[in-house]
Amino acid sequence: MTPSGTTGVVWLRIVLLTLAGAASLAAGLVFLDLIGGNRPSGLDIVRALLLTLTGFWLVWGGLAGLIGAFIPGGRFRRTLQRPQGKTVVLIPVYNENPIETFSRIAAMNRQVVDKGLADLFHFAILSDTTSLEVATQEAVAFERLAQEREAAGRIFYRRREINTGKKAGNIEDFVARSGGAYDYAVILDADSLMEADTLAAMALRMDADPELGLLQTVPVVIGAGSVFGRMMAFSSAYLSPYFARGGALLQGNEGPYWGHNAIIRLRAFAACCGLPVLSGRPPYGGHILSHDYVEAALLARGGWKVGVAPDLGGSYEEGPENLIEYAKRDRRWCQGNLQHRRLLNAPGLKAWSRFTLLQGIMAYLASPLWLLLVITSVFAGIFPDRGGDRWGATPWLIGAGVIATLLIPKLAILLRGIFDGHNRRFGSSGQVVLSVIAEVVLSTILAPVLLAMQTRAVVQILLGLDGGWPATARDAAAVSVRTAFAASWWIVLLAFGTIGFLSLAAPAYLPWLLPVAIPATLAPFTIALTSLGDGRIARNWVFTMPSEIAPSPVILESRRILDSWRTTGQIAVTEPLLGVTHARA
Amino acid sequence: MKRETFEHFQGLPDAPLAMPKQSLERQSVLFDFFRSVFLPWPREKRLRG
Repeated sequence: MTPSGTTGVVWLRIVLLTLAGAASLAAGLVFLDLIGGNRPSGLDIVRALLLTLTGFWLVWGGLAGLIGAFIPGGRFRRTLQRPQGKTVVLIPVYNENPIETFSRIAAMNRQVVDKGLADLFHFAILSDTTSLEVATQEAVAFERLAQEREAAGRIFYRRREINTGKKAGNIEDFVARSGGAYDYAVILDADSLMEADTLAAMALRMDADPELGLLQTVPVVIGAGSVFGRMMAFSSAYLSPYFARGGALLQGNEGPYWGHNAIIRLRAFAACCGLPVLSGRPPYGGHILSHDYVEAALLARGGWKVGVAPDLGGSYEEGPENLIEYAKRDRRWCQGNLQHRRLLNAPGLKAWSRFTLLQGIMAYLASPLWLLLVITSVFAGIFPDRGGDRWGATPWLIGAGVIATLLIPKLAILLRGIFDGHNRRFGSSGQVVLSVIAEVVLSTILAPVLLAMQTRAVVQILLGLDGGWPATARDAAAVSVRTAFAASWWIVLLAFGTIGFLSLAAPAYLPWLLPVAIPATLAPFTIALTSLGDGRIARNWVFTMPSEIAPSPVILESRRILDSWRTTGQIAVTEPLLGVTHARA
Repeated sequence: MKRETFEHFQGLPDAPLAMPKQSLERQSVLFDFFRSVFLPWPREKRLRG
């Protein structure tokens, strides 16, 4: 097995970690000079430490995007070569819309069959669905899928009635029973879609490198209609590949696994990734929730390479259409990532795997830390200045540093796109410039709301409380102001309370709070407004995506099949199918 | 159309692959030491008071 990470990768990590550490430390010192001079109070030191800590992760994330923008991009070339290994495409489902999921599988299967790869790629739908109504729809949709070409003996469906271990347990159940029949498994989500060429390319890369245990693609969000959904989709299509490319360079052979749109070597996965149930009670004990990061770490521990392939196109997923759905998903991920605290000292993990777990934890702890910085700064305003000597740092310097950290990577990606012609895939450079500006403005407006919601999620998890989100209609993108208010009234209250407090206690500091507080007071309206739109109006102006200008064949095929299945109606359920673990041979 | 009756994993290959449970928790010697010094009684008993 190749030693984990080449010398070059290790040096790059050291250089960038040092750079991020130095930049955040410098920011912390400048901030300390600004607020306390040479006579800082205890509160000043706490504030400077908070800025240093949160700043480090901000700079670290920005550096990945920045180096990604300067790495030459590999171009995915389609090949007629057939993989050697046999692959099963696993689609774990859990109460999702079966017609949509199964029509995507039909589209992938048609491509696989057309390319003469039917003998090498099987599909297995692994249902953990708990709703009997959805389970019935799944059985019906499977009847439809089973009529597809060469489905017999290649497309399977089974439903577990007891969902032990959730998604990780679902996949483990398949591997333990049938994993020996295949060399590789492509793990998809219910909303995933992949070109047959991409499936083949992934299997070929596994064939070519017998030490490769897992290869992760960078899925692009498709099908978004709302302003919020399209902003996320544009970000995933235009910016994420560069951040992933930078990340891939830093991660070396200890890359990420995001739980879907990836291929695994089944024997390696089976040998290394049997997840234990952690001792103690949730949120830290019990089943491992965010299993993907842990599985990647376990494969690396077992000596297998875990790689990421930002150059592989043709990998898609769908995303949340509004901020409430996004926050719900984020809360699940938050709990999973915080649980990783238990695993930081797991025996035998590679140092980089531990760092990756820590990075995941900090991605969520950063929000309460930023909020704590705001709160301590508000309180600091009511104490008199101790009159220390200053070097002369201004608040603008700190603000400019934060803005530069956030904007420079995006600017570098934008400039690269202008010069290498990449922007043409998104319409034109003009459209891309508008889209990036819109993305920056919108994400700035939404940031305080997301920060508050993430903080609440962290606090709830630490206290072992449940969130109690207001229900939103399934598959509905638009959120009414009423629903948005029910989800965010406490943010509005908090923002008005802070503005009121600071207006009375230290009005001179109020202008520094307003850029955060004003968007927070408008939370219900921004949530509702960004959930609107079906994409048609804005398509020609902002957030235009290659999947709209030139949809790939599998996207078109899946839409055709979905339309056809919806038009021709569903097959009637002629016998009891509920509760049936059902496989089609 | 032929309909299958209930049978677990009908049609799926019967090819088991062992997935041994991995060890992820490390006993902390320091923690155990402090626990044995300061909490020599079982937690349940302590709670019952």
